[in-house]
Amino acid sequence: MRASRNLWLGGLLTAVFSLAAVISFAWVPYDVTKLDIGAKLLSPSWAHPLGTDHFGRDILSMIMVGARTSIAVAIVAVGIGIVLGVPLGLAAAARKGSLMDEVIMRGNDLIFAFPSLLIAIMITAVFGASAVNAIIAIGIFNIPVFARLVRGAALSLWTRDYVLAARVSGKGPVRISAEHILPNVTNLLIVQGTIQFSLGILAEAALSYVGLGAQPPLPSWGRMLADAQTMFSFKPHLAIFPGLAILLTVLGLNLMGDGLRDLLDPRLRRAQR
Amino acid sequence: MLRFVLGRLVSLTLSLFVASVVIFLFVEVVPGDPAAYMLGLNAQEDTLAALREQLGLNGTLLERYWSWVSGMLTGDFGTSYTYRTPVAEMVADRMWISLPLALYALALSTLIAFPVGIWAASKRGSAVDTGIMGLTQLGVAIPNFWFAMLMVLIFAINLRWFSAGGFAGWDAGFWPAMKSLTLPAIALALPQASILARVMRSSLLDTLGEDYIRTARAKGLTRAQALWRHALRNALIPVLTIIGLQFSFLIAGGIIIENVFYLPGLGRMIFQSIAARDLIVVESVVMLLVFAVILVNFAVDIAYAVVDPRLRVRA
Amino acid sequence: MSLLEIEGLDLAIHGTPILKDVSMQLEAGRILGIIGESGSGKSMTALAVMQLLPEGATARGTVRLNGHDMLALPEAKLCALRGNEVGMVFQEPMTALNPIQPIGRQVAETILVHESVSRREAMARAREALNRCELPEERFPMSRYPHELSGGQRQRVVIAMAIALRPKLLIADEPTTALDVTTQAEVLRLLKRLVQEDGMGLMLITHDLAVVSDMADEIVIMREGEIVEAGPCPGIFSTMSHPYSLGLLEASDHQPERSAATAEAPLLEVREVIRDYPLPRRALWGERDHFRAVDGVSFEIRRGESLGLVGESGCGKSTLTRAILGLEAVQGGEILLGGAPVFSGKRPNRAVRRKMHVVFQDPYGSFNPRWKVGPLVAEPFHLMDTPPYGEARDAAISEALESVGLSAEDAEKYIHEFSGGQRQRIAIARALIIKPELIILDEAVSALDVSIRAQILDLLADLGKRFGLTFLFISHDLSVVRNVTDRCMVMKSGRIVEEGETAEIFEAPQHDYTKELIAAVPQLPEARRA
Repeated sequence: MRASRNLWLGGLLTAVFSLAAVISFAWVPYDVTKLDIGAKLLSPSWAHPLGTDHFGRDILSMIMVGARTSIAVAIVAVGIGIVLGVPLGLAAAARKGSLMDEVIMRGNDLIFAFPSLLIAIMITAVFGASAVNAIIAIGIFNIPVFARLVRGAALSLWTRDYVLAARVSGKGPVRISAEHILPNVTNLLIVQGTIQFSLGILAEAALSYVGLGAQPPLPSWGRMLADAQTMFSFKPHLAIFPGLAILLTVLGLNLMGDGLRDLLDPRLRRAQR
Repeated sequence: MLRFVLGRLVSLTLSLFVASVVIFLFVEVVPGDPAAYMLGLNAQEDTLAALREQLGLNGTLLERYWSWVSGMLTGDFGTSYTYRTPVAEMVADRMWISLPLALYALALSTLIAFPVGIWAASKRGSAVDTGIMGLTQLGVAIPNFWFAMLMVLIFAINLRWFSAGGFAGWDAGFWPAMKSLTLPAIALALPQASILARVMRSSLLDTLGEDYIRTARAKGLTRAQALWRHALRNALIPVLTIIGLQFSFLIAGGIIIENVFYLPGLGRMIFQSIAARDLIVVESVVMLLVFAVILVNFAVDIAYAVVDPRLRVRA
Repeated sequence: MSLLEIEGLDLAIHGTPILKDVSMQLEAGRILGIIGESGSGKSMTALAVMQLLPEGATARGTVRLNGHDMLALPEAKLCALRGNEVGMVFQEPMTALNPIQPIGRQVAETILVHESVSRREAMARAREALNRCELPEERFPMSRYPHELSGGQRQRVVIAMAIALRPKLLIADEPTTALDVTTQAEVLRLLKRLVQEDGMGLMLITHDLAVVSDMADEIVIMREGEIVEAGPCPGIFSTMSHPYSLGLLEASDHQPERSAATAEAPLLEVREVIRDYPLPRRALWGERDHFRAVDGVSFEIRRGESLGLVGESGCGKSTLTRAILGLEAVQGGEILLGGAPVFSGKRPNRAVRRKMHVVFQDPYGSFNPRWKVGPLVAEPFHLMDTPPYGEARDAAISEALESVGLSAEDAEKYIHEFSGGQRQRIAIARALIIKPELIILDEAVSALDVSIRAQILDLLADLGKRFGLTFLFISHDLSVVRNVTDRCMVMKSGRIVEEGETAEIFEAPQHDYTKELIAAVPQLPEARRA
């Protein structure tokens, strides 16, 4: 029963922030590109529920628009990880012990030696900072995550008798990977995808906090915190609300991931019966 | 065992080699002419030529790679273009902030996570377990730099227990220096401790379900004895993996946390170099950090073999 | 007072009744055999005695062990009893030992937990226990780790742990089910000897009537949490009256009716086949060593024949199976099916491959859980040049399902809706759908309960008659092979050591290994056979 509570709470939090991002395309309380120095650094009030920043911009509006950046960066980064990582993992498992397997796995180890921040640093040092570079940096780091996950799961699936039966029926490794292996790792992918999604949001926030992510005027949660750095000692609301937005989004995704795992993992389901 | 260590050493060397090639290609080849990149658009032709000479850009790629790597091996990391000082010197100063910070955080994270994870696992399904799991769920989700800002707000600005930033320096003595690293280390450690505690708990629950735990109980061991004597060491194997991974996150996270606390470590140095387009510094510091990560993973592999006798035979 | 008295034991897990009014007793120095198929509650009875029940279990009634009321004792007292007065041995020796602790320490732990003796003395006594379990010091020093031992050797370590303190009662839950038949015979002999030497009581739980009939003094037969029949052994075999026990007895030695219509023409020809596996390199630049899993094997199967291949684990029979199925290249010799080679490089030779199919052991791992039964059964159509589609395909699926005793509607269900026996029927339907001539049964009935096994054997015999099938019956279970094959071969270390008419081999085995194998098979009392 705890499983469904996690799923509901996580789904609710995720839905709230996704909805905020979607609504922001059509409507926000205040235009975030307009500066209003007269209304700068206001504490929360009815007019500005979460206050205003040092340029007089409405923080609630900025958080709504910032959700767009965070979610977009994280989704694309997870997409890169899945699109490139899953086939690599499947291929490595299908030819276990071959040169290809060895190259793929060593390549993965190598990427693991570069935390996404280091990749972002190298990319930024050469190409300059941007949201796209943040996506690439986080995305590259996601590739080995998915490749390893899929390879590990696929290796155990390849020892199943139904795979042997498919081979007896004359099916080749590509077909078997598509028909028998992939459908049986999708649950894992959904769960891991949710987790990487939340890690992506954290990483994007960290990158834009140090100036390696989305650039002005595009609002992002991480940079809102960076801007608040010099002022939050006397205007704490500047730091508290964007931070809470990150915390709650990531928490929501993690809870949802846990809930999905309990729901989808047949091992746990059998144990409950 | 010796064969195992040797095998791991070979793979360590190989990783370092490939990593150095990747970094070299990325920083020195991808931008085209690094000298032109570093000086910007309006550079004079003769200053460009001088910089090329200084950077050794006139040789072939192979010569340049070799001089970079052989330099690193002998402790010569090149000369910073902006500061006109040897990179090795700059790194040496700052490393004694970044490295202790990462180790401090790693120690904190492990010291918190082990007892908490074990406690939760041994009280599975109880209020204690649910409470701990809820707290770690928050800990995993909290961005460490934001947590750092909150701690500054509470412990430095309101309670005045710590200073809001800066580093006392090791010259000021061990304790003052550690004190200025304490808030940063806690900020770094908390999310990692939460992850580690969760892994510890689930790994322990997995091993507690194994057949050999039932065998141990049939011998007359109590639940707690079976946990401490049989489950714990077996549960450590996946936990070690996470500790290894965490070190690389701590190094990366440290770069950011140094920014919050204005600590003059490698992280600040990297960002200043990026702003100044000082590629030489970026290249060497990134290589150094990657070296640290690979070295830690090597240590984790060895630790595996110490814990698990089945791995010692496999090369 | 008996050593163990169970009276009116009821057990429920989360409210689901598992045991109903179970009563039995056991005297010191005697062996009590508990027999039942899966779900009979035999293991739960054992765990109730140990009080190691799973979470959510509630027991009522009395379990009295050596005067202790086990259901009323507090946990601390129970811990003092477990390992000291009662020991237990489990089914799966591969996972029953802590993988990262040397065996000596694990045995010594039993002693250290219960007695305040020095570590040195505990180790000395552990050594003695290992010696008694026929693990001599020269070959099995205390510093060995479990992964360095075979299954049978690990089971001996588990037994040594259980008897180190000479308990009054030993509970053995399917102790030999995971072991080869010769190893099983040795372990059973060991248990019997320990009972005699120590005068302890042994509660031997198994699904195999023959195993207990050799050993037990008393027998209890259980079904669905209840005792259906109990009595002294071997007397009970002549006095049995409950239909379930009689059915069980018949099924244990079931002989399906087969017709022996054998043509002279060979269908499968295996000639001098050699199969090598490369071993991991010893040194980085050293020569690669090879392990020869199949070593010059030759045989033929004639059309319509049923040939048995018997061997213990690791003898190379699985490797040989894969080679016959054309999945892997051989390093020497050739395998011909209907005169054409089964292996044809990377592209499978479908014209040859569709003349045979296979049924595997594990009814649970044989099917992709995400597919419906229809597509699962139809998968071998991949071997056809023009596979049927639409109605013709559905009709073929229905026909295959109906021929194994299932219904056409079952095609729309998922595999988890079926029991183990039904799944094995589906596996047979899958093998039949392309109308093959040869069906390879790779331990196809080994994982099934005896009553289900008898049904599947009947089904196979019936299908053989109807479709004129040829069978290669691969199994470690000699009694099954004896009942369903015309000829059989005995395989050891990659070689066929003996081959001939099944009846002749079982009556008068020539090779020493065959003799050993046959002698190791537990026998039901002769009274019953006649």
